[in-house]
Amino acid sequence: MYDIKVQRVVQNLEKSYSGRIIPMHEWDNKIIPSTTKAILKKHGLQGTLDLENPINCDDSLADAFFKAGWELALELGFYCEDTERVIKVSEEELLESIRDYPDHIVLGEGQDAVTMYPRRPESTVEPLIEASLGIVCSEEIYLPLVQGIVKYPKLVDALHGPSLATVFGHTIRSGSPLETLAGHYESKLKHEALWRAGRPGMCCVGVNSAITEYGHLGGAAEVAGRGNVTQSLCPVEMKVTFSNFHRVLHGLNNGHKLRVGAFSYIGGFAGPPEGAALTCVANDLLVPVILQSDYTSSYVYDIQLFGNCGRKALWANSVSTQAISRNTGYMRNKIVNQTGGPCTEMFMLEAAVGLMNHCVSGASISTQPRSAGGRYTDYITPVECWWTGEVFKSCAGMTRVQANEIAKALLPRYEGDLPASDKGFSVYECYDLKTQRPLPQYQELYSRVRNELIDLGMPLNNVYGDTFAGMDKDVKLHMSL
Amino acid sequence: MSKEELLALLGDAVADGDGDKAVDLAKEAFETGVDPMEVLNDGASKGLSIIGARYSSGDAYLPDLVGSGAAMSAVMDLIFAQTEGTASLDTQGVVIIGQSKGDIHDIGKNVVSALLAVNGFEVHDLGTDVSVKTFYEKALEHNADIIAMSSLLTTSLPFMDDMVRYVNDTGTRERFFCIVGGGPVTADFAESIGADGWGQSAFDCVELCKKLMARGNPGSGPTIKVDSQAEGRA
Repeated sequence: MYDIKVQRVVQNLEKSYSGRIIPMHEWDNKIIPSTTKAILKKHGLQGTLDLENPINCDDSLADAFFKAGWELALELGFYCEDTERVIKVSEEELLESIRDYPDHIVLGEGQDAVTMYPRRPESTVEPLIEASLGIVCSEEIYLPLVQGIVKYPKLVDALHGPSLATVFGHTIRSGSPLETLAGHYESKLKHEALWRAGRPGMCCVGVNSAITEYGHLGGAAEVAGRGNVTQSLCPVEMKVTFSNFHRVLHGLNNGHKLRVGAFSYIGGFAGPPEGAALTCVANDLLVPVILQSDYTSSYVYDIQLFGNCGRKALWANSVSTQAISRNTGYMRNKIVNQTGGPCTEMFMLEAAVGLMNHCVSGASISTQPRSAGGRYTDYITPVECWWTGEVFKSCAGMTRVQANEIAKALLPRYEGDLPASDKGFSVYECYDLKTQRPLPQYQELYSRVRNELIDLGMPLNNVYGDTFAGMDKDVKLHMSL
Repeated sequence: MSKEELLALLGDAVADGDGDKAVDLAKEAFETGVDPMEVLNDGASKGLSIIGARYSSGDAYLPDLVGSGAAMSAVMDLIFAQTEGTASLDTQGVVIIGQSKGDIHDIGKNVVSALLAVNGFEVHDLGTDVSVKTFYEKALEHNADIIAMSSLLTTSLPFMDDMVRYVNDTGTRERFFCIVGGGPVTADFAESIGADGWGQSAFDCVELCKKLMARGNPGSGPTIKVDSQAEGRA
């Protein structure tokens, strides 16, 4: 009658009513920092950050982080904000989850279905791209923008964003009835855009105009079943809310796959990069058990840089991703948070380094892009989506040593600008939504940076031999009303 | 131990978030006849400067800021008792801070909250998913100077506009500075809704609050925009 996942979610909800009571202030400011610090010390992981080698190439270090993360997961569990109690898991539950985990997941249906696989570090298996992140766009361009995002089947595998600024011209407020309507509206628009693009069976991930469970409730039924995904994002650090459980149950009610994330912040409650890497490993172990995710979406973010393309976050993401990739079969979504905007070299370099890192470290999928940090309405074009797809997939099979050398060559070109990045151009300024082509200056930039990176050793011609010329040969039938 | 050494140790204890040690050192200072205001200004307060610098350079983290703030509060309580309530505690101002309705992404707000506290503001942190009405009621309750709203989500931005309009419509605009910040909150947006100020980063927010308190007259001047990175670029 019900998926076994429902039963397990219910069991964890019950734990949220019976676990140890702790004030949230104490969890955030005492328990997380002190436990993280103690476990780092116990496993000799303090001071392991290597700024000279931002992509970790040391298997033993990744394994040590896995052992430490396992211990942290068992010692802490997740904190439920609504009941102020701790949801703990047993070692048996962690082991059972790993044992029962599938060896692949199918997203979407029919000719548009794609298969996601677990990837070990340096895997030759191509990872997948969900595009875009929930960057806000104007209602009137939602359809053509999404049509452009999914234009190339080789580059974008699942539809995630963008988010709507308004619904029928009305401003959407979180948790308001308009959010419920926006959830439904966005899902309908996605269907329409996918149909127009000739990819009607493509997987839809979440409702991106939905911040609370209301938007998800509004949109989940519209994209029920057929390999679609519900997303649920937990608060920092190692916490969960009833809203997360609401979304998970909405997803299960509608036959969705579940993508659940819990983030770790450098400079936040977990402290240094090593602490954030450690909690990220624990999150990747706990989320599949407590919230029954089909794949996780946990990654490390640098609170002082508003992104994760600097050396500290690159290193923390590499070592934490490798820790799980080497020791479990879990599939994980690893996001790169760019700070540069559309049509900037900054964006292209951040994306290249960040995605190359995730790819060689063993991520199975990435949701991309977050152009201009996701701060500005309409600062998203299909080109950033294509670029991230081309980089992420092309890097499959690279070694971590190769990737590390390329990262070291590219980082000096952008890291000084990370605290104050160029927001670039809006979609109207660098992309033609009628022809679905970048404007000349963006096309020129794309080709130049792409060629430079190929010369550096990044095999970007793995997907398309030449850039836009090659892409055009492979584009699906363009359908429009 | 000399007075200078004692006060230096007190500053270090506050910077390290060691409240017990800070209180012991403050008591020792009182017993040796050091003036309570010297204990505050030349000892404990120095610790706040130290932790602020450590955080800025990436050598300290959010829990360290919170710990220092708590240690400082403990010392302040002691000074207040020592002077039988006559000491001027000189808060920079009273701030009501929280994450806009619908938004649970509070890590940036937590940093701002901790930095404001270690910079001498009395901070009342309302947490996440805070309604406009709650901001307002708490501002009245604590006789706040500043209402600080944060959001990482675009769909929580309209509540910032609602907040400014709410204090306007209730006839209390001149009582509270309304400031906004967070990932998608831009200077232009802050100006468009008539906010008193906007800060790009957590440190910028502290500077913003200081500037507003120095300026006075909420709701009367142009939006103050603080972006130290942009200033650096210029």
